[in-house]
Amino acid sequence: MGIFDQDVSDQNSLCYPSLYKPGQQNLLFNKRQFFLCTLQGLGTSFLLFFIPYGAFSVMVKEEGSHFSDQQAFAVTIATSLVIVVSVQIGLDTHYWTVVNHVFIWGSLVAYFAILFAMQSDGIFGIFPRNFPFIGTARNCLSAASVWLVIVLTAVVCLVPGLAVSFLRAQLFPTLTDKVRCLQQSRKRRGPREQNLRRGRRTSSRRSAYAFSHQQGFGELITSGRNMRRMNTYLERNQ
Amino acid sequence: MMASSYNAKEEDGHNSGASNNGGAGVVKSKKPDNTAFKQQRLPAWQPILTAGTVLPAFFVIGLIFIPIGIGLYVTSNNIKEYEIDYTGADINDACYNCAKNFSWNSTMPCVCSVPFTLEQPFESNVFMYYGLSNFYQNHRRYVKSRDDSQLNGDRSALANPSKECEPYRTSEGQPIAPCGAIANSLFNDTLELYYIDSNGSRNMIPLVKKGIAWWTDKHVKFRNPGGNDNLTVAFQGTSKPVNWRKPVFEMDPSDPENNGFINEDFIVWMRTAALPTFRKLYRIIQKKSSTTPTLPRRVQIEPGTLTLRDDHYPCELQPTPNIADTPQHNRN
Repeated sequence: MGIFDQDVSDQNSLCYPSLYKPGQQNLLFNKRQFFLCTLQGLGTSFLLFFIPYGAFSVMVKEEGSHFSDQQAFAVTIATSLVIVVSVQIGLDTHYWTVVNHVFIWGSLVAYFAILFAMQSDGIFGIFPRNFPFIGTARNCLSAASVWLVIVLTAVVCLVPGLAVSFLRAQLFPTLTDKVRCLQQSRKRRGPREQNLRRGRRTSSRRSAYAFSHQQGFGELITSGRNMRRMNTYLERNQ
Repeated sequence: MMASSYNAKEEDGHNSGASNNGGAGVVKSKKPDNTAFKQQRLPAWQPILTAGTVLPAFFVIGLIFIPIGIGLYVTSNNIKEYEIDYTGADINDACYNCAKNFSWNSTMPCVCSVPFTLEQPFESNVFMYYGLSNFYQNHRRYVKSRDDSQLNGDRSALANPSKECEPYRTSEGQPIAPCGAIANSLFNDTLELYYIDSNGSRNMIPLVKKGIAWWTDKHVKFRNPGGNDNLTVAFQGTSKPVNWRKPVFEMDPSDPENNGFINEDFIVWMRTAALPTFRKLYRIIQKKSSTTPTLPRRVQIEPGTLTLRDDHYPCELQPTPNIADTPQHNRN
C-alpha cells in the first residue's frame, strides 16, 4: 500500500528538485520522528484501554442483563483498535488509488467477517475449547452503548493527531505541502486554462523570428511533434 | 521471483524475465511498461487537509457529540438505583453475625435481614443485581480454569475434564462436573425481597429468575449432557465441585429448563466479569400495570426488608457483597 502513495506527481517532482532535500537529510524518518511515533502509539494504547474501562464499569444492556464482562470488554477494545488504526492510515494516505481503497475498507470488512466467524455457533460446535468467545460479538455489537463507546474512543484517539497535522500544514508548510496545494489548484482550474497559459508563456520565451508575414514553424516546434518522432527513431535503432 | 531469475549481466532487474525468454537475438527494452499502474498514474483521489474541510469537520463532530453526551447524562441521572451493602464487617451491621461465624463448610445456612426504605417508587421493570468488590474474576489463571467442552454437554469431556481445570479437576477419584475454579466459586447467596405494608404484614415480592443470561449462552454455549431430562443419570460418575453444597443436577429440580449446566444463575456467574468490582444480574421484578409503581415508596408502605439465606463467602476473600435495585430506564 505504501508503494502507491504519492504526495507530488512525477512532473512536479522534476520541476521542483528541492523536494528531494528532506529525503537526503533524513528529515522524515530519524530518531526523533520514531520516538514521536512511539509516543503516539503509547498514548493511543492508553486511551484505547481506559475509555472502554471507564464505560464498562457501569454498562448495562437494554433488557438489563449485565454487560460488564471480560469478553465484551475485549471485543469493544479490539473493534476500537481496528477502526482507529484504519482511519489513521487513511488520514496519512495522500494518494488514494483503487488498491488503497480495497485494502483499507477491505481490512475493516475482513475484521468484522473474521470476528463474527470466530464467534459463531458453527466454529464453536467444532472446537468448543478453542473458541470460547461464542456469541459475544453478536450480543456486544448489537448494543448501541458499545458503539457509542467505540466512536468516542476513535474520535478521541484520532482528532488530536488530525489537528496537529492540519495546523502544521497550515502554519509551517513544507515545500511538499506547497507543491501539493499548487497541484490541486492547477487541477481544479482545469486543463484548458493551463494550455492557454503555456501558449502565452512559450510565445514570450521564444527568441525573435524575422518571418512575421506568415505563421512560421514556431507552433510545429513548440508542440514537440517533430521532437517525438525523433525520439522513436532513436529508440528503434538502439 | 526476482531473485530466482537474477542474471548478473542485468543491471536493473526490470525485464530480466523477458530478456531471458528473448534469447540471444532481440534485446528487449529494460524500460518499465508505460501503463498507468507501473508509471504510478492510476486515477486517484488526492485529499488535502485545508481549513475548509477540517474546521467544519471539527464543528460537525462537536455538534453531534455534545447533544449525545447531554442526552446520555440526563438519561443516566434519571435511573434510580438503591444499593445495600450486606458484608457485615461492622459490628452494628445486620449481617455481622453471619459474616463472623460462618465458614464454607458449615451445614446450616445463615439468615440475616436488612431493612431498607426507598426514597421514590421504582417504575417499570426493576433489576436486582448482586455485586462483589475486590473479587478478581479477571485473573488470568482463574479465567482459564474452565472446560467449555464439558459445559457444552460433551460426554467425553464430562468423564475427562481439561487439564486447565487443575486443581479443581477431580475429587474423591471422580471427575468434577462442572470443573474449574470459576464454577467452584459460584455465588450462591439467596436473596428474597419482602415489603411490609401498612398493617405490618410481610408480602414476598415475586422475583423472576428466567431471562437473566444471554440467549446464546443459554441455548448454544451451555448444554446438558444427553438432554435436559434424567440429569441424575447423565451426571453419574462425576462429583460436585469441592465448595458446592449440592450437585449441579440439583440446582433447580422444579424446572428442567433451568437445571444442570443451563441453570441461569450458573451461566451468569460463568461469564467472568472484566473488573474487580462488578455486578451481575440476579433477578428481575416484572412491572405491574402501567399505573402502579413496581416498588412503591415509603410514604405508602412500611420499610421493606431483605432477607438473606446465606451460603456466604469465606472471609479470606474479603469481597464486599451488595445488592442494587435498578429500574429499567428508557423503555417506558
